[in-house]
Amino acid sequence: MAVSSVTVSVEPVLESKIQEVKLDGQEIYVPPLSMSENLTKLAHKIDFYKDESDEKGKPTSEGEKDEAEEKVLTSFEQPSWVWDSVRNKLKAAFTEMAVLTDVLNIIKEKRYMVADPVSQDQPDNKPSVLLLAKKRGLVSAGSVLISGAERLKRSHSEHSNRAQDDYFIELLKIRQNWRLKKVGASILGDLTYKTAGSRFFQGGTFEVTKIVDDKTDTSTSHSRGSLEVIIPSELEGVAYIQVEVKSVPEMMDLTSVTLKMPAGLGVIRSDAYWQNKLEVAQNVLFCKELFAQLAREAVQIKSSTPHIVVGNQIITNAFPGIQLSIVLCHYTGKEKKIPQAPQKLEHNHVLEHSLHQLLREVHFKNINYVAPHPVNAMLGMSKRRRLAGPQGTSRRELVEMNVRDTLLEQIIKQTKHAVLRLRTMHVLDELALCIQDPQITAHWSCLNSSLECCVRINITAYGYEVVRSSLVLIIEVDTIQAILKDSRTITLSFEDKALQDLILWQISQHHIQVVQQLAKFHAWTVVSTNFNVGVGDIDLYGTAASLMMASPKGDKVLAFRSGAYNKIQMYLKEIDPSEAVDTSPAVTNPKWQKIIGTFQAVDVEKLQGKTFSQKVDMVMAKLTSMS
Amino acid sequence: MGVVCVYFYPVPEGKSGQQVVDGIQKQIELLGAVKTGNFCVDCETFQAGSGIQNTPQRQVNILHSSEQPASCFAILDTGTCLVADALFDGLMQKLKHYYQQRKGSKIESKGQRYEYGDFIFKVGSVSQASNFKGILVEIEYCPCVVAGDCMNLMKEMSQSLLGSAVAEQQSSFLKTKTDMIYTPADTMSQYLEHFNNFKKATSVNQAMNR
Repeated sequence: MAVSSVTVSVEPVLESKIQEVKLDGQEIYVPPLSMSENLTKLAHKIDFYKDESDEKGKPTSEGEKDEAEEKVLTSFEQPSWVWDSVRNKLKAAFTEMAVLTDVLNIIKEKRYMVADPVSQDQPDNKPSVLLLAKKRGLVSAGSVLISGAERLKRSHSEHSNRAQDDYFIELLKIRQNWRLKKVGASILGDLTYKTAGSRFFQGGTFEVTKIVDDKTDTSTSHSRGSLEVIIPSELEGVAYIQVEVKSVPEMMDLTSVTLKMPAGLGVIRSDAYWQNKLEVAQNVLFCKELFAQLAREAVQIKSSTPHIVVGNQIITNAFPGIQLSIVLCHYTGKEKKIPQAPQKLEHNHVLEHSLHQLLREVHFKNINYVAPHPVNAMLGMSKRRRLAGPQGTSRRELVEMNVRDTLLEQIIKQTKHAVLRLRTMHVLDELALCIQDPQITAHWSCLNSSLECCVRINITAYGYEVVRSSLVLIIEVDTIQAILKDSRTITLSFEDKALQDLILWQISQHHIQVVQQLAKFHAWTVVSTNFNVGVGDIDLYGTAASLMMASPKGDKVLAFRSGAYNKIQMYLKEIDPSEAVDTSPAVTNPKWQKIIGTFQAVDVEKLQGKTFSQKVDMVMAKLTSMS
Repeated sequence: MGVVCVYFYPVPEGKSGQQVVDGIQKQIELLGAVKTGNFCVDCETFQAGSGIQNTPQRQVNILHSSEQPASCFAILDTGTCLVADALFDGLMQKLKHYYQQRKGSKIESKGQRYEYGDFIFKVGSVSQASNFKGILVEIEYCPCVVAGDCMNLMKEMSQSLLGSAVAEQQSSFLKTKTDMIYTPADTMSQYLEHFNNFKKATSVNQAMNR
């Protein structure tokens, strides 16, 4: 059967596998396997699970070889030989190979088997038919391409047209920004702040309609789109809240409270874009809510001077003579145009803004409750209120818990603070301008709230900056807290006179401190200082400070007296050393002897020097050298 | 919340309760106190476990005070006091099968409330099922929270206002809690003590009448 001359050798190709190709084209090969590695690899490939019993029953095609194999194998025949299974496999493989050679022999040698070719119809190879088929194919492919291109073109043109006047695209846009719902055939929208927490009674329902296109005027349709919103008549027009802080004479004249309606407002045109219209209408609603809330509070709150609500204006008193007026300006466009002189609008932007902010805060608090929200507690209760029961909170504490500043009270507080801050600024600026000698510098803190701010005032003498008096003013709602150098705290009222007095008093003390410092420099002896002199001319405010000092030799004595409103006074006394001083037994300390004698007033104005400190410096130097 | 003393003011023979109340109120007004509305302390008794055998009858007293409107006080016989939210009443209704309200047990003290500086006076006439039972006078000293610290002051005030005979009686409850922080629950315990005394007195009276 098998022909022994045919040898089939199975060997690996002499090429190693490529492990990777580097970016520069270099190839890294897997190193070729050694003989032992190859053997183990091949041995692993053998299927050890294949039953050997199959082979046993199989008639072996090569009896001789088998016998030879048997002979070889006998020497290894041990039941526990590890390569036993490998040998069996190899044997099986050999059998397979033998069968394969048989099959190959059958095919190769014509004498075993003959294969006759089957006759087949030749395909029709006429060129005309081929051409026709190709043509048809091309035409159909072309039509597919053309239809696709047309569809693209159409969608493109549609898209460019739609951007301006497609009702549905506009509707989609409006739905993204506003709350809409369909009621029957019409589409209604809501522009109230109810979802943001507002509890205002007035509704803000608008209707969305489609504009029936009139092709005559293209310019307008471009700006307004193809969608129209119909806004309720009470929300038409433009509105804003105007806050004014005015100083009025003591007798408040109610007739001056006229209903102002500034006409110079940008009226919204009827053909404006819907987004604009809705925003303006929403603003009208917001302003109305704000004003209604303030008016309600103005009527409810009892204060020493009653708040007045007249028409669209609320008038309250911040300070005596300072009036806060909040006006709701609503211009609907239907009013008769009264030619008004262009009013000077001195409205307060900051307060207007904080009014808006306050209402938004109220809205926010209406829907957002302070965490945590236990599931077993009533919604909207604060933690303190929840614990009030188990902790036995008294009635008074419960009442205090509920007290919340109303909008009007808050805005009045802010107004008071703003007024007070302005006043303080004004007073400080005036003083800094008027008083040149000690320089007054004010450092305003950049961190402040709407109800509190802080300013540090430094008083220094030009050229003698070593001595510095500083005080801090904390400006509150209607009082000013002053913290002095010696950490005394003084509460000032809202009257600017009080602040002026305080600073003048501080300046008078500053003068004395400078002199005291100069005494140190010139080695003079300070005999006495007194910041609260009880004798002499009485000042309008505060007490005068005084200082007395003696020259190093003790023959010259200088005395100063400085008051807030009295000019600084300077006295000099020269003691003649030759003059026999009768030492009284009552004098315990020799320094008191220098007090005896008469002082001569020195005119400070006429002394040489630019500032008071320079003058004193000069005088002291002169006196020291003279003695 | 300060320290509270509740005093029982006996009604002398031949005088009606209203007359005595008016007398005390007049005295307080003469002192310069300001009238600040009304007050009310009420107490309901619930009885437990009538259906369960071999268990002693247990009571729970539910008290409310107008001074602590958000709270509800539940006091057991043993003196244990639970201070809860006002919704506790609803819970008691749910427990109807176990705790049953005793008929006609609702007893309350109602009257005028006065403020005088740091003191609060409450003159209450006690009534059970619209029957007048007696008079309770409550004196509160607000700035203090420890009963022992202001006991003498309270005694002096009550002596001048109610007479020394009344001032001498001091609640056994307060005596035990002289150095602890005073809580509203303690006030309620005092009220309950007095209410129980009133109830006992009536039952004794009824027994005597029979």
